[in-house]
Amino acid sequence: MHRFDYLEPATLSEAVALLAQHGARARVLAGGTDLLTALKEGWERPDWVLSIGRVADLRYIRYDSRDGLRIGALATVREVETSPLVRKHYPVLAEAAGTLASVQIRNLATLAGNVCRASPSGDTLPALLVLDAEARLVGPSGERRVPLARFFVGPGRTVMEPTELLAELVLPPPRPGTGAHYIKHSLRRAMDLAVVGVAALVALDGETCVDARIALGAVAPTPIRALAAEEQLVGRPITPDAAEAAADLAQAAARPITDVRGTAPYRRRMVHVLTRRCILRAAELAQSQGRLP
Amino acid sequence: MSAHLGPTPLRVVGQRVPKVDGVDKATGVAQYTVDVRRPRMLYARLLRSPHAHARIRHMDVSRAQALRGVRAILTYRDVPPVVHAGQPQPRAGSLARDQRILEDRVRFVGDGVAAVAADHPDILEEALALIQVDYEVLPAVFDPFEAMQPAAPSLHGTDRNLVIPPFIVRHGDVEQGFAEADYIFEGRYETSRPMPAYMEPDACVCEFDPSGRLTVWISTQAPFMVRGSLSEVLGIPMSKIRVICEHMGGGFGAKQDLYQYPYLCVLLAQRTGRPVKMEYTREETFVAGRSRHPVVIELRQGVTRDGRLTARQARFVANSGAYASHGPGITRVGTNALASLYKCPHVYIEGLCVYTNAPIAGAFRGYGAPQAYFALESQMDEIAAQLGLDPIELRMRNMFQPGDRGPAGTPFREVMLPACLQRGAELIGWAEKRQRPADPGPIKRGVGVACQLHSATSYPAVKEAAGAVVSINEDGTVQLLIGAADLGTGAKTVMAQIAAETLGVGLDAIRVVSGDTDVTPYDIGAYASRTTFIAGGAVQRAAEDAKRQLLDLAAQELHAEPADLHVTDGVVASRSDPGRRIAVKDLVASPGGRSARTIVGRGTFAPRNDYSFAAQFAEVAVDTETGQVEVLQMVAVHDVGRVINPTTAEGQVEGALHQGIGYALMEDLVVDGVSGKALNANFADYKMLTALDMPKIYVELLESVDDLGPFGAKGLAEDGVCPTAAAIANAIYHATGARVRQLPIAPDRLLELIP
Ligand SMILES: Cc1cc2nc3c(=O)[nH]c(=O)nc-3n(C[C@H](O)[C@H](O)[C@H](O)COP(=O)(O)OP(=O)(O)OC[C@H]3O[C@@H](n4cnc5c(N)ncnc54)[C@H](O)[C@@H]3O)c2cc1C
Repeated sequence: MHRFDYLEPATLSEAVALLAQHGARARVLAGGTDLLTALKEGWERPDWVLSIGRVADLRYIRYDSRDGLRIGALATVREVETSPLVRKHYPVLAEAAGTLASVQIRNLATLAGNVCRASPSGDTLPALLVLDAEARLVGPSGERRVPLARFFVGPGRTVMEPTELLAELVLPPPRPGTGAHYIKHSLRRAMDLAVVGVAALVALDGETCVDARIALGAVAPTPIRALAAEEQLVGRPITPDAAEAAADLAQAAARPITDVRGTAPYRRRMVHVLTRRCILRAAELAQSQGRLP
Repeated sequence: MSAHLGPTPLRVVGQRVPKVDGVDKATGVAQYTVDVRRPRMLYARLLRSPHAHARIRHMDVSRAQALRGVRAILTYRDVPPVVHAGQPQPRAGSLARDQRILEDRVRFVGDGVAAVAADHPDILEEALALIQVDYEVLPAVFDPFEAMQPAAPSLHGTDRNLVIPPFIVRHGDVEQGFAEADYIFEGRYETSRPMPAYMEPDACVCEFDPSGRLTVWISTQAPFMVRGSLSEVLGIPMSKIRVICEHMGGGFGAKQDLYQYPYLCVLLAQRTGRPVKMEYTREETFVAGRSRHPVVIELRQGVTRDGRLTARQARFVANSGAYASHGPGITRVGTNALASLYKCPHVYIEGLCVYTNAPIAGAFRGYGAPQAYFALESQMDEIAAQLGLDPIELRMRNMFQPGDRGPAGTPFREVMLPACLQRGAELIGWAEKRQRPADPGPIKRGVGVACQLHSATSYPAVKEAAGAVVSINEDGTVQLLIGAADLGTGAKTVMAQIAAETLGVGLDAIRVVSGDTDVTPYDIGAYASRTTFIAGGAVQRAAEDAKRQLLDLAAQELHAEPADLHVTDGVVASRSDPGRRIAVKDLVASPGGRSARTIVGRGTFAPRNDYSFAAQFAEVAVDTETGQVEVLQMVAVHDVGRVINPTTAEGQVEGALHQGIGYALMEDLVVDGVSGKALNANFADYKMLTALDMPKIYVELLESVDDLGPFGAKGLAEDGVCPTAAAIANAIYHATGARVRQLPIAPDRLLELIP
């Protein structure tokens, strides 16, 4: 394993200063479930490893009905999965978090780490995309907010500068009458990466779909939104035919590859099946939500 | 009749006693090979070929040699040019001499080309990277059918790249059999390349003492084979080699023949005069371990309108990979299995074992039978469906009878398949579930069945024997020395139970000593399904021998007839006059002050074989839109003769089902058809079922009465994995109408087959 020095800042500003100093030769360590593998396998050879584990005030999940949800960089995937706030207001995020790896990994892995890793198959990413999540980044020249829809640029690549940290993820307050669902398609029930991941969010006004989001994982170099499929749904009731038509468009948006986990034609076909199922389930949830007092 | 004349009820055999080494393992005290550390120990690793087939033109190790901390480097120029089989000869007569310790030729991606020993494991990678190898890349072949073509590159200079001449099983006249058939069924079945994926990676530590005696700690199923092969290949007398393997973290068959690394580790220890440790990385256990053989089976059967088999013709083509390993043996067992299971008057089966430039396939639980039964039991299901017969009924119509000859050529003493089928059908609710109307919606459920029968030993290919020694301590406790290794199966516990039962002492009086060639009697190795059956038989005989000596002594002391005496709870007493009694400890070490008596019982057991039977039932739910299969439950009914320890016996079947379901659905080392590289040589991409993927399983053990093995025990270890894949494939057919003929049953392929 490549030799590196280990840094352990205690505050966010200290962390930002150290990153500014070492930049591209440093890697941020959160839960380490991705980074440690990369170090051991030699895929990453940083000279500095900067742990944010001791940075105060990064481990939180906060909600208010005006600003929505804020998830600090050290909140673990397991905390997101089990948070009563997340389960109540953004159940699809808890659902997606619960599909990642295993409980042991989820206890270490951070949600922010899953975002920064930017794997096309990252399990929480489609859910975060349909929830319109934004990343709050801090760097030497201050901070900026980037919607996740514009955050990913390729497998493992994001718009973040090497000197930037992801401080928190921000989700707008949920609108009433929405339902959302995530389907992870994998060979095993645990410890497996998605062959295809689909998240769908549907907002209904009575029977009519007034808003829709569909995001696909593991079928393109980044997680993607299926915008044409979303548009197809808006302005009409969600019927099996409507879901089928949207699924056609989602399938057309997918650009999967063939690898050991699945062939491109199979992945494309699954995008269709799973998008249809996901939309119908989201609509069901939206309806039952609408019926609540 | 008075009670004491009848058979004594068993006290220890048949009990769910915990493992005798359970505490050591649970507390981490048990020493595995990877735990062995010696003073001044060096660490070694192999440089592995990136090419599937190449000749080495030139090697330059000077830069690696110059690296600080590097102590020795071996290339093909530094090792004895002995051609050998990776096992001592003659062992089976079925292993081919086709390997050298190192050679100027590599035959698969991962073949070793050099070995480096260094002060610290961290230097090894750098040292290996500094070795320069100039390869002349040769054409490679990965498919056994292509390898048999005249133009194919030749791996070992054999005819059509065959490892052994075709192995043929023939009886009757298949032409006549097909002429008598009303229908003929044909299918081509293709199996995958699963890995044993044992917990403990292959490892050894080799150390010479100043007088030239070699000690080898090694994770092996067969310490005596290791000793024999090291002796044969390196020219060291057996009396100067001590092989130790006290605990091991699994082997599943793969850790019983040697290739490269133990020989190299010994040579490095010799060269440096220091202990040397070699330990595989997980990736190496995939690329340089042993897989189950991928096999193509072309199967053709004739059957009458009323469901009687008239003819069976088949070709069993096994992909051996780059070396023979156990290819000859599994070809023989697989071909014999294909010829068996159900009565068929006219049979012609040809078994071929072919070298290719793929990683080495070897012995792995089932040894050719899982492949054969996948094909045979899938086709039986197809025949039943076509004839409109219940799959169980079709099997009953073709059932063997006691006295018929089994796959190993010996007659069946009993045929327990009907009982297994009947009980399994009850447990799973077969009649009702077969009639169930098709599920609405995309998820369809179905049930399927498959059977197996299996021989506990490798007879007649190997004439096996096991030895045991029972020695009574001065306080009446017992040392039990067995040559057999315990792979983690609980063999030591079962051996202790057999000894305790036979001797009439408590289980806690027995100390089991195993896995040390300096101490224990010979045993050929823990493989097949043999240890309880054969080694247990040796233990029983050794204990009987010791007991006879005890009773003779007691008869003198008590002035009684030996036949009138019995031993219970460590006390010898007269049956006719229970007041006459003496403790075993007082017999051995007399309180009167004379020196202790030596009571040593010896036992060897070299039986032919015995057959065990099983029927497994699977219930599945298939998502017909995604091709995903969920196994809802497995019911496994096994006849294993007497169950010595129900917990360890059930554990064998449960573990086998885990591997069997994995075999059916996902376990497969994928080898790139162009480069020959393994594409998923790690646990992220090589998929095994997790605990969450395991369905409900019901294991029921039937205990047929058979007196050949110890207390009537038969073999069990391999059986559980043999029928599972076919049972699942047949359940998938019942659920969806898709007939799967290829393993693993991957969702994308299944989706193509669903009508
Ligand atoms: C066995 C195993 C199974 C897995 N299974 C899954 C799975 O099913 N689904 C899935 O989506 N993922 C899976 N993963 C991947 C991994 O667990 C997740 O991506 C996890 O969320 C990463 O979080 P972490 O905190 O461990 O990140 P780390 O490993 O600490 O970091 C990951 C990357 O993000 C960067 N980073 C982390 N935090 C920040 C920050 N605040 N600011 C800037 N950069 C940052 C790091 O520098 C690094 O490049 C698995 C991993 C393992 C080891």
